[in-house]
Amino acid sequence: MSVFTSTLEALTRQRGVRASLIVSESDGLIIDARLRYGQDGERVAALAASLYRKARLSASAARLGSVAFLQLDAERGRICAAGRPLHWTPDGAIGSDLVIVVVADPAANVGLIRMELLKAVETLA
Amino acid sequence: MKVATVEPWVEAPLTRYVDDARARLALLLHPSGQVVAQAGFTRAIDVMTACALAAAAHATAGELGRRLDGRAFRGLHYSGPAKQLYMAPVDTARGAYICLTVFDQASSLGLVRMYFDELSRELAAAAPPLTSMREPALALDFERELNANLSALFGRS
Repeated sequence: MSVFTSTLEALTRQRGVRASLIVSESDGLIIDARLRYGQDGERVAALAASLYRKARLSASAARLGSVAFLQLDAERGRICAAGRPLHWTPDGAIGSDLVIVVVADPAANVGLIRMELLKAVETLA
Repeated sequence: MKVATVEPWVEAPLTRYVDDARARLALLLHPSGQVVAQAGFTRAIDVMTACALAAAAHATAGELGRRLDGRAFRGLHYSGPAKQLYMAPVDTARGAYICLTVFDQASSLGLVRMYFDELSRELAAAAPPLTSMREPALALDFERELNANLSALFGRS
């Protein structure tokens, strides 16, 4: 059990979700995960964190602000990710280095996953 | 990117690893500290010193692991303000090597570890078997072999 258990379980309960992970964006390492048997969580974590970081940096370079939600559709599945990147305000630090990643079937309902994911992001410190 | 090696079968997997993992530099060395190959940007460091220090750090971590956990620690990660390093052994038919990877914010520990697993598999598959027992480190031809290896690595005549 970790502080992320309920968050991950809520995401994994969604129809078509194969895996949900909390990943460190800077390291690409798993903090906590719910995976199906045989899934290579470390690989997903490393690649999804890299993808999210590149998207965040690209959005920032294009002066589009922070990334709220990232979705990658592939032939045999999709990856959704959301996070609250760390930034500083006069009142202190907001956000975290953590990214929530969901791996889902191609036919999964992205709208529901997105809603749950954005709700889950609010629970990140 | 500079690639230099004294063992040709190492070159392709190591180059691919540096590209895929977005690493700054990868050094393959014998556990004794002898350089086998280098790939990446090496201008800023003295490769031979880095290999000697890496071998020492690997030996230290291995012994620490044996004392704390009953067997040697395999992977070692250090993180600095701008650069990080990951070091782990690679087992092949020609014996064990150590791979030292230096990376920065263009990569991450997760990516480096992931592609390191692929590098280990590729090197294990590519390594030609030893046809004879390896010569002792201080054999008569040590100096000649060392000079030949340094020439191959650094382009000295």
